[in-house]
Amino acid sequence: MDDLLTRYNYDSFAPEKFEPWMNFASSPQTGTLAPDFPLWRLDQTPTNLNETWSQHDFTIVEFGSFT
Amino acid sequence: MNEIAEKYAAQNIGSIFLYTHEAHPGENYPHLTSMAQKFRHARDLRDVLGVTRPILVDALDGACHRAYGSMPNMTWILARSGLIVYKSDWTDARSVENAIQYFSQIPGRRRAGERLAPFHVERLDFRNQERKQFYECLERNGPKAVDEFRKAFPGG
Repeated sequence: MDDLLTRYNYDSFAPEKFEPWMNFASSPQTGTLAPDFPLWRLDQTPTNLNETWSQHDFTIVEFGSFT
Repeated sequence: MNEIAEKYAAQNIGSIFLYTHEAHPGENYPHLTSMAQKFRHARDLRDVLGVTRPILVDALDGACHRAYGSMPNMTWILARSGLIVYKSDWTDARSVENAIQYFSQIPGRRRAGERLAPFHVERLDFRNQERKQFYECLERNGPKAVDEFRKAFPGG
């Protein structure tokens, strides 16, 4: 795997591995347009974030993992 | 969060869970090395953790997650136009529901003829840390996840 994949998918919860990813302060601001990205449904069919947010007046997007 | 999704769905509020990466890799749910593994973990969010919202999976390099700040459990609310109207660096159902109760009134207010202009608010919300539930999740990942969290946050 290349360096980005290895660093993003870190193999242990150690500060030097997870802290570089805590970048909320530099994330897009409220009042601006959300960046769009390709995503996949559980059946592995492709979609994107825009397709989700454009279906409802408002869309709640929770980012997370198993913990 | 599942309850909020169900409660407000009839008010045209969508809700998804976006699977990112393993914040606390353990023996049972190790760090990701392939999309096939990522889809397996994402399916377990539904099958083991009981996430009932649509689950979408990010790219293996976390392109979407990283663009939004890559915090482990954040919540964003996006308007139909794509406008970002709410962002929180941690997920708290009370905070999200409070925001949705406000935002869900906006289409009706506009239909009623109110002229609404956006403005910025900063607010510090307070979440329940739910330590017992959090440690149960770590244990489900495996002893490695528990040990590493205790080393990173000895008082946690």
